[in-house]
Amino acid sequence: MVMDAKPDSHRTTGGAPSARPPKSRINWSWLGVVPFFAFAIMFLILPSLSIFVRSFEGPEGQFTLDNIFAIFHGRDFINAYRTSLTISLITAVSGGIFGFLLAYSVILGGLPSVARSFLLTFSGVASNFAGVPLAFAFVATIGNAGLVTRIIENILNVDIHARGFTIYSIWGLSIVYMYFQFPLMVLIMAPALDGLRREWREACENLGGTELHYWRYVALPILMPTLLGTMILLFGNAFGAYATAYAFSGSFINLITIVIGAQIQGDVLYNPGLGNALALGMIVIMSLSMVGYLTLQRRAARWLR
Amino acid sequence: MAFLEINNVSKTFGKTTAVKDFNLKVEKGELVSFLGPSGCGKTTTLRMVAGFEVPSSGEIIIDGKDVTYEPPNRRPVGMVFQSYALFPNMNVAANIGFGLKIAKRSREEINQRVNEMLELIHMPGYGNRYPHQLSGGQQQRVALARALAMHPEVLLLDEPLSALDAKIRVSLRGEIRSIQRELGITTVYVTHDQEEALSISDRVVVMNNAQIEQIGPPFEIYNFPQTEFVAQFVGTLNAVNAEVVDPKAKILKFEGQQLQTAFSLDKLHSGDKVMIAIRPERLSFASQEKKANILKGKVQNITFLGAVVRIQIGIDSLNFYMDTFNNPYLALPKIGEDVEITCSAEAVLALKERKESQG
Amino acid sequence: MKKVNIFAWFIFILGIFYFFLPLFATLEFSLRMKKGVYSFEAFRVAFEDPKFYQNFGYSFLWAVLTIIFSLLLVVPTAYWVHWKLQKIRPLVEFITLMPFVTPAVVLVFGLIRLYGKPPLNLTPTPIPLIAGYIILSFPYMYRSVDSGLRAIDIRTLTEAALSMGAGWGTIISQVIFPNIRVAILSGVFLTFAIVMGEFTFASLLSWPAFGPYMEEIGSMRAYTPQALSLVSFGLTWFSMMIMQSLGRGAKGEEQIAVAH
Repeated sequence: MVMDAKPDSHRTTGGAPSARPPKSRINWSWLGVVPFFAFAIMFLILPSLSIFVRSFEGPEGQFTLDNIFAIFHGRDFINAYRTSLTISLITAVSGGIFGFLLAYSVILGGLPSVARSFLLTFSGVASNFAGVPLAFAFVATIGNAGLVTRIIENILNVDIHARGFTIYSIWGLSIVYMYFQFPLMVLIMAPALDGLRREWREACENLGGTELHYWRYVALPILMPTLLGTMILLFGNAFGAYATAYAFSGSFINLITIVIGAQIQGDVLYNPGLGNALALGMIVIMSLSMVGYLTLQRRAARWLR
Repeated sequence: MAFLEINNVSKTFGKTTAVKDFNLKVEKGELVSFLGPSGCGKTTTLRMVAGFEVPSSGEIIIDGKDVTYEPPNRRPVGMVFQSYALFPNMNVAANIGFGLKIAKRSREEINQRVNEMLELIHMPGYGNRYPHQLSGGQQQRVALARALAMHPEVLLLDEPLSALDAKIRVSLRGEIRSIQRELGITTVYVTHDQEEALSISDRVVVMNNAQIEQIGPPFEIYNFPQTEFVAQFVGTLNAVNAEVVDPKAKILKFEGQQLQTAFSLDKLHSGDKVMIAIRPERLSFASQEKKANILKGKVQNITFLGAVVRIQIGIDSLNFYMDTFNNPYLALPKIGEDVEITCSAEAVLALKERKESQG
Repeated sequence: MKKVNIFAWFIFILGIFYFFLPLFATLEFSLRMKKGVYSFEAFRVAFEDPKFYQNFGYSFLWAVLTIIFSLLLVVPTAYWVHWKLQKIRPLVEFITLMPFVTPAVVLVFGLIRLYGKPPLNLTPTPIPLIAGYIILSFPYMYRSVDSGLRAIDIRTLTEAALSMGAGWGTIISQVIFPNIRVAILSGVFLTFAIVMGEFTFASLLSWPAFGPYMEEIGSMRAYTPQALSLVSFGLTWFSMMIMQSLGRGAKGEEQIAVAH
């Protein structure tokens, strides 16, 4: 023990100045990124951190877990989370599948190349077309006086709204969200499908495999990380959406983003800590999905190297 | 009857002809390589044997069975790709066993075969690695094992070594050859590297512009190229357009200097043009003993290539290369010096334009 | 092969149908303002409103400010990271991806709670709004510029320029900028499209902008909102078309955006 301690004490106490390099070699190059990090800390990290800290603060600033518990006790909050999660899940999975099939059809389905560039352009636009104008577009489509609603009423003589369908429901909102969800899937899957090498298919055929074998054992497993990863991205995309739902005259649907928005506009919960805790819940869910996304992404990158 | 027959096969893509009138018979256990520049049709021909392309005309027969229109997954053919094409989502064992799994063989049989193949490529213990954990050379060996695991009757290799660096290329081609001999498998090997083709093959098929230029053993291809293209593409060569002086005495001339040949000029007349070629290593400096067949020129450049020293000699407007073996006490002429070089009459080869039809 | 083709066509047509139906319905709806006849009345009403131009102008102003400051932050940083600080690249990348993790609503919430009262009361100024937009633009801006820089081996170019005696001004303006101009512009137009239609930040921070204006019209009138909706769609389309024509050579990756 003593033997061990000796060199240690030497190192801590006996650092003769002459043994050090004459000038301390501080790397000044990090100064170049100071503005960026200062900005990020001030407007991204600190706000997120303050949400985290204040989630555990009571009215007098003391530490408490009450806010977190309050979420689980308030039926409305649980419902809001549940609604948000449900819509996100529905649109991520169905948007993901449909987007994948669409990307497949233009990339590998033997369609003319015009179809491909057209779809990719449109997907670029549609994935950015969201929020208020999107809501209006769908009101005009499947709202009470929407085109599709009227057509169905005139031709089939069925009033879908009288039969319980409304755009202000989970399914209604899901249809609307799909408009920006599956184009995003198309945009990400198209390059991934392009990345499937012809030789893999040929090697599979050469070894006696059919088209089905190829998709089952080779193509789908290779695409799976990208496929799942992108679905997670879609999930987060829908989960954080606010404007589209708000434009449907707000609180018909009790999404968690709507609840937080209301809390911002006026302290409707009469408890600032609770608002923070609700926001924290969103951050946690989004972070988890992001970790999942990045993990899958890394795996995909490794395979496709 | 030959084991693999490619009879009168042509392939057109739209207006371009990729392969024209390709005829080849490959014996069982033979290794034949297709050699040619990129775009000459060698890979297209290979892909037709594999079934990835369907010939526009002609037929392909393997072991007496016409497979011209068989889909690739029903041909007894194993293929190795230039880019390895290993399935990135499967480990080495799964890659090698993939064909057997598709064929629904029992797990014991697959395991046994996979282990056999790993032994064959000298990579036992690598079964659990993934392709991205292997070097290029290792990946290509696994690809070879995967292609052989199904006991194919014909093995096809499409430029298997072009993606690898020089050292590995040389060692791996030796390994491929020894595995091929060990298994006695009929093999077609596509390459654009003439050294590779010459060193590995029983026979070489030289292709250019969708057609076969010459078929023959490496020795013959190199020493007796039949066309200008073959002569130029395989090895280094001095090619000259000469004029017949005396058909009976077999004397030609170019740039005012006369040259004795050994090949027959019977069908030609004095004044006819003929394309001739001389390999650099067949030339040597004239000396007391070697006084015949002399060409006079001036040394332009001397390049040290290791085992060989290449001397560039200007004969009027023409440049001749002469190779001489390196030795530390070699007395080399100076640049600008006038020299006399010579070669035997047999070293002067006659070249034809492309032959019109192939036997 | 034929069977696959039919399936592909089916999916493709379905997709196109889903894309265009709402647009067509919106157009049809917007033309129905006058009873019994199709007219552009809704567009006339929309364009007659002085508040339309006012709010549109505000959004434009926010977009321009966002783009300027975002460029000032992102371009030098991305360049510096490529040139000197490869090690911290994952960290910078992580930060620029944070907006995907932090929904706009949550970020606004945090900004208001933090800067909405003394000691640092910023909410009377548009700083939180622009800052929020800059954060929002990070993923697109940084990714565009980053991939632009990656494509040209910035290190060698800079060192070559330095060895030939070029000053920093020359390097930036003559060497780096021309090479990543396309990447920068595609980031710019994507940011433009996003900010022009943005609702969450502007609404919750109570600043006039096109998004909240549309929402307000939506709750007040019928037909006009759909006309505005088409205007907004046209704007997005326009930005994307410019970006696409700019980025013919560049990777398609930059178009990927996440809507809110």
